Amino acid sequence: MRYVVFSLLKKDFRLMLASKFFLLALGSLILYSCYINLVYVRLDQEIYPVYLYDPMGVQSTASSAAIRSESAEQMHQACSDGYSVGIDASGRVPRIYMVSSGIRRTDNSRAAYAVSLLFPDSETKTVVIGTNTKEMKNRREITCEFLFFELSAVGFLGLASTLFKEKQMGVILVHSTLPVSQTYIVLSKLVLFLAADLIFAALLTLVNLGVSQGLSVLPAVMIQAGILSVVMALTGFFCAVCLQGFRQFSLLYLILAVFVTTPVFLAGQTGISWKWIRYHPMYHLFMALKNAYFGMKPAGNIYYAVCAAAVLSLFMLICRTLKHEMAKEG
Amino acid sequence: MTGITFQLKNVRRDKMCILTFLLPILAGLAVNLLSGINLSSVSETGFAAVKDSLTSDAVHWLRSMGRLEMYENRQSMETAVNQPASQLIGVIQNGDSLTAVLSGDELEVNTVIGNTLPKMYEERAALSSYEIDIVPGGSSDSLKPLLTAITMATALFMGCTFNAMNMINEKEEGIGFVNEVMPMTKMGYMLQKLSLGYIGAVLSAALTAFICIRISPDMIIPLLLVILLSAFLAALAGLFIGHFSDGLMSGIVCIKMVMILFLAPPVLFYLVIPEDSFLHTITYLLPSSAAFYGILDLINGYCGHMQEYILVLLLHSIIWLAAYLLMCRQRKS
Repeated sequence: MRYVVFSLLKKDFRLMLASKFFLLALGSLILYSCYINLVYVRLDQEIYPVYLYDPMGVQSTASSAAIRSESAEQMHQACSDGYSVGIDASGRVPRIYMVSSGIRRTDNSRAAYAVSLLFPDSETKTVVIGTNTKEMKNRREITCEFLFFELSAVGFLGLASTLFKEKQMGVILVHSTLPVSQTYIVLSKLVLFLAADLIFAALLTLVNLGVSQGLSVLPAVMIQAGILSVVMALTGFFCAVCLQGFRQFSLLYLILAVFVTTPVFLAGQTGISWKWIRYHPMYHLFMALKNAYFGMKPAGNIYYAVCAAAVLSLFMLICRTLKHEMAKEG
Repeated sequence: MTGITFQLKNVRRDKMCILTFLLPILAGLAVNLLSGINLSSVSETGFAAVKDSLTSDAVHWLRSMGRLEMYENRQSMETAVNQPASQLIGVIQNGDSLTAVLSGDELEVNTVIGNTLPKMYEERAALSSYEIDIVPGGSSDSLKPLLTAITMATALFMGCTFNAMNMINEKEEGIGFVNEVMPMTKMGYMLQKLSLGYIGAVLSAALTAFICIRISPDMIIPLLLVILLSAFLAALAGLFIGHFSDGLMSGIVCIKMVMILFLAPPVLFYLVIPEDSFLHTITYLLPSSAAFYGILDLINGYCGHMQEYILVLLLHSIIWLAAYLLMCRQRKS
């Protein structure tokens, strides 16, 4: 039996090599890491620029953050972007000038900030309670997003693609004549893809969070990545067994990548509150992974129980469907 | 023409494929229904405070500046402020003044507002004595046009996926070898493959636009031109992927890469790069940028740069088509 299991693992590993799985995973790792380090960590939203037109120099206490304008026209021109705010201090009473952002409360906030720059600084200090810098938060956030996307979309696809290849090559028919249980066939693929996903998760985390920060969250991340990888790989496997051609499968993959993961990203990243999102299973998987990246408790016992039940039922369903397929093939 | 009819006949049997082209339309409907949700709240400054800890004056003032969320105790408020997905600024009453609580990882705009909050509150009387000129500007809902544009771009991208998968599938099944001995030119084959994804993408994007976008009659032709040219580029991208991929897995990964490049950078450019900068012009090097800007401008009711976008899309179409034909000719020779 040990020889059979080893042979199955060897065969699946060779299939992975032949489908350039590792090369493509390496390509994705480089692409994601370049994007994170060269683009995403630099993203920010600056404070509203404030332009001050003060020909008489009456605003002596104005902060240096206010940009001086030579003329009212220059100030109006600078404020045409709907973000900057102008203060015209040429009259007896200063006049605030701005192009509306379209949101009344944001306009109020812009005006209040601009006016505050005309007065000396307050002595009240801000309380900072967090431990992350903006850069580290960005790194954790985007690394989590990429890992989630990679595991949910590619995890769904990777295992299934090897099965389709085997279907085409007639290996399923050969399997049906071999004295090997369906459980081992599914398990050998699952173990290899899980190992590959975990290595990918570890590398992506360490490269983009740094060694010390990466190592501190790695155990929790690996657990969540493992759960996500197994769930998605089994779902992909099930779809691959049921669907006839890879084209249908690839279109299903696109649906998953764009339409299933997008609401999860929107709800998890922007703070949009949709009550229905709690019924979206991927949302819980995403939030558990995200919590792991931010050093928070990923999830409760119910979450793990549901995941275990889902994995077990998917596994049993796949074994049954595979058995049925093999019987059909002869 | 007969070839295209056969290809269409082949697709007609593929229910899953037809369903996939319908999906962006369904997503468009969902985005349209989002009007019940106030998406603009995401763009506003968010404040968090402990229930009954602020004076009514402070509550009123904070509500005029952004959305204010109340929590049962200080710990819940700090947890909310520390939430990575939120940009909430915690507020504590300190006698007559306010103190901000920040997590330290906010965007610069929220960090500065948090640091200036006590002064903004102190000088609220000064603000009310000033005259304020607010010139009407953009839309209050910036996220919905963005979601609509992403849905449209995805509808266009379906053409790329369909073409690529169709070609890879034929390669895998050995139909490529059959085509070699068929009385069919390379150009004929290319046109047949191009038309399928192109027709699907145009129909899908046009129906999505019909559902999601309300535009004046004079903008219909520019929108149609943007859709026609962008769908052509997407279908052409599918041909390139189909041409270079030697297997299903590499094809899928190529589609993933192209999809990320097709959708993510234009969104990023739109949010980060100012419209009149030189960098904005450079972004036209990416074919999807002009399509994305064009669709977004039309959704927002602007028609000013439309000729520019159409010209860029036309140039891309000619260049990429020429590159594909040249590549086919070289392979043949």
